[in-house]
Amino acid sequence: MIEVKNVTKRFGEGEFAVTALGDVSLSIPEGSFYTLLGPSGCGKTTLLRLIAGFELPTNGEILLDGENIGHLAPHLRPVNTVFQNYALFPHMSVARNVGFGLEMLKRPKAEIDSTIEEMLELVQLGELAGRRVDQLSGGQQQRVALARALAPRPKVLLLDEPLSALDLKLRKGMQTELKRLQNETGITFVFVTHDQGEALAMSDHIAIMSAGALRQVGSPEEIYTAPKSRFVADFIGDTNIVNAELLSFEGNKANIRFKDGSPLLVPAASTALKPGPVHVALRPETIRIVDATDDTALLKGEVIDSTYYGAGSQMLVRLDDGVEVHAQVVSPHILGSRVGLECDTAMLHVLED
Amino acid sequence: MPGASRISRDANTTLLMAKKERSRQTRRARFLLLLPVLLVIGIFGLFPLSIALVYSFLEPGTYGGVEWVFSTDAYVQFLFERDIFDDTLTFNSAYLQIFGRSFGLAFITMIGTLILGFPVAYFIAARPPEQRNFWLFAITLPFWTNLLIRTYSMLLIVRDEGIVNLLLINMGIINEPLEMLYTDGAVLAGLVYSYLPFMILPIYASLEKFDFSLLEAGHDLYASRVQVFRHIIIPITRPGIVAGCVLVLIPALGAFITPELLGGGKKLMIGNLIALQFGAGRNWPFGSAAALILMALVLISLLISLRVGAAKEGSHG
Repeated sequence: MIEVKNVTKRFGEGEFAVTALGDVSLSIPEGSFYTLLGPSGCGKTTLLRLIAGFELPTNGEILLDGENIGHLAPHLRPVNTVFQNYALFPHMSVARNVGFGLEMLKRPKAEIDSTIEEMLELVQLGELAGRRVDQLSGGQQQRVALARALAPRPKVLLLDEPLSALDLKLRKGMQTELKRLQNETGITFVFVTHDQGEALAMSDHIAIMSAGALRQVGSPEEIYTAPKSRFVADFIGDTNIVNAELLSFEGNKANIRFKDGSPLLVPAASTALKPGPVHVALRPETIRIVDATDDTALLKGEVIDSTYYGAGSQMLVRLDDGVEVHAQVVSPHILGSRVGLECDTAMLHVLED
Repeated sequence: MPGASRISRDANTTLLMAKKERSRQTRRARFLLLLPVLLVIGIFGLFPLSIALVYSFLEPGTYGGVEWVFSTDAYVQFLFERDIFDDTLTFNSAYLQIFGRSFGLAFITMIGTLILGFPVAYFIAARPPEQRNFWLFAITLPFWTNLLIRTYSMLLIVRDEGIVNLLLINMGIINEPLEMLYTDGAVLAGLVYSYLPFMILPIYASLEKFDFSLLEAGHDLYASRVQVFRHIIIPITRPGIVAGCVLVLIPALGAFITPELLGGGKKLMIGNLIALQFGAGRNWPFGSAAALILMALVLISLLISLRVGAAKEGSHG
């Protein structure tokens, strides 16, 4: 288990100092697949590098199983990294790359050899042991990088956007592969990505970051269905954010009203919100299109665009207050027609800001 | 259909002929491109070398030049001394000592430039790309001045009344000037100074392509700084290191100006020995023989070092 406690990281001095991470705390459960998700420059890679030891925290502690490792050099931490560009050693064979960590740990030769074999088997590259790494394809290099980082049996494996250099098909395959490796080895994986699809598909826990701070931590379902803030809702998937008026709270549900509509009880990110205008998240796949005159229509608007994508169509509706809303439908309505939008009120979600 | 198979065989033959013609053309183009270099090497390299080879088997002329009489005396003279009275040969190690000292000095020069040059090359390669040209420019700046002039200015620095001694005496560290000029140390310092860029540039060339994230990968995989240096930096930059060593060792072996000026010509080096034979010594055959022996020794040691390098590469793969 990794605990990051009040970690701050500043680069530079004085007036040129840049705060990459500001007072971040999180805990990563043992054996989990933990994803740090956020746009570029949000501090996710800095956090990963702090855990690896390539950077030292300005303030705060990093605990691994209760022991503070925050100020140890990288080679003294039982943590290995899979680099974005793989960083394989070009002057060594595949086998020696994989065995490098154990060689540095001065393990017996027999153990190193059997681990190399086992690891290459694990990533399905057994027949390539003797190859030079520059003779491998991108996907194969990726597997070697994984095998090399897993071979010393680290307590934590850090993955820095390892799939970003692969093409779409390979990436999908590697997602499944990574998940399988994590299950088989039981090692804690800390995965950094800016791709929310990747994060949702693979993670046990997702921590969403922006501007050097944590925005929300939770399971993929929690993050997807109950985003706390506009930023999270925006970043995860293509959620619509519509305007509503908050009337009151009933228990932990919010009593809200869309323009000219009747009051609805919907889930809310926080019960501390003040009555008045609020933003509500509305998932495109939960929307049903009804007649504009229908009583069940929560929102009304005009169809301004539709895009066919095979399994259905994405329709763009401009609401009466000017907000544009995406809806996934099986058969789109003709452009310019007036429609009503309806959805299960449990699928709506009042955001904090 | 017999007709069809014949046509396809004809087509194959035509294709084969076209391919042959194509490869003949590429070969000719390649030869034409190589021709200027071949001419230069032939005229200014092989031709003088052949003259030296021929001269080394002739007898010296009284006023320089050669007598066209076949003789192996030049080579015999290298190892033995001929008694003027009874013509008996006794072993004479004087020239071997000159060779040995030159090799020793050149080797120490090589090690010195390597120790000084590697960090410099690493420093330049680790700069942002737009700053590197400035540093490379600074490294090559000394070449703008003639080696002779640079060596003379070095002489001014290290002589008894030179800057170093004046400074030390004025600071009260020493009373008597240190005798630095005309010592092996002065020659060594001069050689290291002159040949340092030849070490820095090839190492820089191999470091320029170096992926510095490999260092992090090494640290991450439990290698200490020293181990990263030994197992990652050194093997990857080995071609540059070998090239630098060769580029320093060989010219340092034949160095002439530096030992002459800074060493005061007190102890002969190979370069001075050879130059002497064509000048005051008036023994062209012996000068040629010494030059050829030097070349042979350099070639042999290069071949051995290549063999060793290749064997090491093999064990890595």
